[in-house]
Amino acid sequence: MTHRQSKRLGWVGGIGLLLAAAVAWAELPHSAVASSAPDEGDPRVEGALLVDATQVKPGDTFRVGVRFRLDPGWHIYWKNPGDSGLETEVAWDTPGATVGPLRWPFPNTFRTPDGFITTHGYDNEAILVADVKAAEGAATGMLTLSAAVEALVCEVHCIPAEMMLTRSIPLGPQTLRDAETAARFDAEVAKVPRPAADSGHAVALTLDAPQLTAGQEFTGALTLTGAGGAAVPAVEGDFFVAERIPGVARVGLTADGPGRFKLKGKVEPGVQASAPDLTGVLRLGTAATGYQFLEVTAPLAPVVAAAGTAAGTPAAVKPPSVKDSIAAVKPVGAVAPPAAAESSVGLGLALVFAFFGGALLNLMPCVFPVLALKAYGFTRMVQQEKGRVGAHAGAYAAGIIGTMLLLAGGVLAVRAGGASVGWGFQFQEPLFVAGVCAVLVAFALNLFGVFNVGMDGTALAGKVDQSHGLLHSAGEGVLAVVLATPCSAPLLGTAVGFAFAAGPVTVLAVFTALGLGLALPFCLLVLVPGLAKKLPKPGAWMERFKQVLGFALLATTVWLVWVMGGLAGVDGMARLLAFLVAVGLVTWLYGQGQAQEGSRKLATMAVAAGVLVASGLLTLRFDAQDAAAPRLGATVAQAQPWDDAAVEAALAAGQPVFIDFTADWCLTCKFNERTVLSTDEVRDAFTQHHVAFFIADWTRRDARITAKLAEHGRAGVPMYLVLSPGAPDTPAVLPELLTPGLVADAVKRAAECAPSKLGGGANVLCAAGFPSH
Amino acid sequence: MKQVVTALALGTLFVGAPALADAEVGKPAPSFTLKDESGKEHSLAQYKGRVVILEWTNPECPFVQRHYKADTMVNTLKGFDAKKVVWLAVDSTSHNTPEKSAAWKKEEGFPYPVLQDASGTVGKSYGAKTTPHMYVIDEQGVVRYAGAIDDDPRGKSAKPSNHVKAAVDAVTGGQPVPAATTTPYGCSVKYKG
Repeated sequence: MTHRQSKRLGWVGGIGLLLAAAVAWAELPHSAVASSAPDEGDPRVEGALLVDATQVKPGDTFRVGVRFRLDPGWHIYWKNPGDSGLETEVAWDTPGATVGPLRWPFPNTFRTPDGFITTHGYDNEAILVADVKAAEGAATGMLTLSAAVEALVCEVHCIPAEMMLTRSIPLGPQTLRDAETAARFDAEVAKVPRPAADSGHAVALTLDAPQLTAGQEFTGALTLTGAGGAAVPAVEGDFFVAERIPGVARVGLTADGPGRFKLKGKVEPGVQASAPDLTGVLRLGTAATGYQFLEVTAPLAPVVAAAGTAAGTPAAVKPPSVKDSIAAVKPVGAVAPPAAAESSVGLGLALVFAFFGGALLNLMPCVFPVLALKAYGFTRMVQQEKGRVGAHAGAYAAGIIGTMLLLAGGVLAVRAGGASVGWGFQFQEPLFVAGVCAVLVAFALNLFGVFNVGMDGTALAGKVDQSHGLLHSAGEGVLAVVLATPCSAPLLGTAVGFAFAAGPVTVLAVFTALGLGLALPFCLLVLVPGLAKKLPKPGAWMERFKQVLGFALLATTVWLVWVMGGLAGVDGMARLLAFLVAVGLVTWLYGQGQAQEGSRKLATMAVAAGVLVASGLLTLRFDAQDAAAPRLGATVAQAQPWDDAAVEAALAAGQPVFIDFTADWCLTCKFNERTVLSTDEVRDAFTQHHVAFFIADWTRRDARITAKLAEHGRAGVPMYLVLSPGAPDTPAVLPELLTPGLVADAVKRAAECAPSKLGGGANVLCAAGFPSH
Repeated sequence: MKQVVTALALGTLFVGAPALADAEVGKPAPSFTLKDESGKEHSLAQYKGRVVILEWTNPECPFVQRHYKADTMVNTLKGFDAKKVVWLAVDSTSHNTPEKSAAWKKEEGFPYPVLQDASGTVGKSYGAKTTPHMYVIDEQGVVRYAGAIDDDPRGKSAKPSNHVKAAVDAVTGGQPVPAATTTPYGCSVKYKG
């Protein structure tokens, strides 16, 4: 279409009502039919107002529909038109009747040939149906329905259409249906998506990150299950169309198996404080099997401002230099979650939380067996030597608090090293897990009577070796703490989060309060006179109870074996179980030895020790790489192990270099790898700029990596370096908390500094991290 | 297998690259150099230090015609300090020619150049989807506003709220832009394809 012709159409030209087409619709009154969107005099759309009743009784409900008939290739738009276009609008004027909302059939998806612009709407013929309720009143006269229709009609170019459609229906003593129109409406309404819950479908949405970030992409999964868990049919074509979601720039689904969909979208930049829902329509089934249309609504997640860009402030939108962004993001990365806790929880409250949390820990499944064991011990002790109860309770409490402080010291030490540790970090160490398992199994076998601790066969009468008994109590305290840490995270989140963020004194105070809480039940036994006497009297039941407790300990071991599975895979689990069998054998040998005398006894003990050492050496070789290596490969593309020589080679070849200093036990590292380094945006940026991607894995101590970290003033991971071939001596150090945009920008800048691309004097710019365009 | 994956990855990159590079609020605007209807070159870099308004346009689009009939663009531009603000129209319509743009400019009598982007490269690098689709870029070259010219897609409002005016006033006044991203409305950009 030429410029001159289009001019003739004009904006206002579309408003003209051309009634000539009404001849073709003899059954419809003239006023109910119109055509519009004149394309050089040829209207591209015809609208008609249809009603599924020929007479209406006041108070009854009937249906009205606006039918659009479009020339081939032309379309109108759905309520969310997509990238361009305009929602089709119908304004009603119906005195004596109320019209409900338009019911939009599932829309078609239209794309430009290059796929750049996607829109949603209807072509050929579509009817937008609405319910109408005639007001109560006298059953005489006429009901007049008017619809002012506005639509944008597009093929390649677009023509606005405006149509006024009017018709009258007589009121009468009863409603007379028009079967033909009703059937036509039914067919159209069958294509209108219904809320998923109405048909018993359950929608579950999970996001890969706990929150949405303004301006960032997000991914997740949507699962749909039919009524009673029934399978959901497969989908085809453009099966999902999202409604317009405030704050969300775009969102789409791709099929990932029956009823399973991958979710991918992007948050609009600058969005603040909103928690958008995913809303859209879904078409299940295929053309061959028939379709089912569902309306899907599921909450996404709260939107937070992008790290380092407080949305809306003028400072946020300056072109960020690497230096600036480090300055802005570093504090956030280091203390972001705890800082939030700090503002809302005072030290006193944190201590109270910690104390009661500690007391509650006694009831957690991972600690309860130890607690029960201790109760059993007390029952026995109270009857034997009342004076010792206080000392044992003290030893137990000391064991707990001592371990807690040790843990606190560990946290402080690791934190001082610049790394962030998670609660229960010691469980990231397979050897530690194996050790705790061995202790638990040995404990259980002890309870089963396979061997005795601290007592010779002759001491069975009940003479408790004092110092050893106290150590035993303290040891139980240690075990209680060790087992408690993984259980406590959900319970103690606030207090522990507070402690992790705060200064050393606070950390120690919170952990002491935790320990006191954990020791509370036994302190009570001592502090409240007479309470200890209320414990049941010992007897034969105690032996049985003791053995039952042994099974509880074994059950706890099962959980730890599972933890090991996460750390070192199936192989690791098998090795651990083999080791535990050896531990069982050793304890049994030890038990045998206890009953023997002299050299025989020594020989048995030697064999036991030999078996323990040999089995330990054979089995306790957990290669965290077994479990971690394939994961790493899957999440981070094209990675190669870090090596100074390889880095230099890549730089010499003109490639920008990205080095990821990471460790399996570093949660921040894993978070960055999952949510940033493995995103398409970053992968694409790496591919586009031919970035050589190196991983320096600090899961185990590595002097080379430690030295490299120290070179940049770091004592721990994560650390991210971007080296430009143009300025290899001044690498950019990225903040600990990455965003895909930040990484993409950094490598882009590095690529732009390549010697091949920069002129004289640009080195200075590169070094400062500025783009050189 | 590896080659297949690589090929797929490269393919994805090829198809996906233009869409990835959208001009986004808060990020540096994609740079460009385009000739206007008289053959004069304009680059984004040359306007550094001034606020740049980009208007994706197409004289054949009824939405654009409505705004030119109402002089929306010229009236908006008049409200700004000409030393600080630059208005550039960009036409990414595949069948547009400099002659058509020149004739249109003469007929409508607006002062700013119409940049010729018939290949659609710059339009796609900005993610321009509609005509009109407006971008406001600040003195440092950062996108501060992307979206519609106003809040009145249907041209029915007596007092439409002009988003571009609000954005430019905020940027020149050192204030945050109140609505930095809005949904653009109008015809689709008629890209080559």
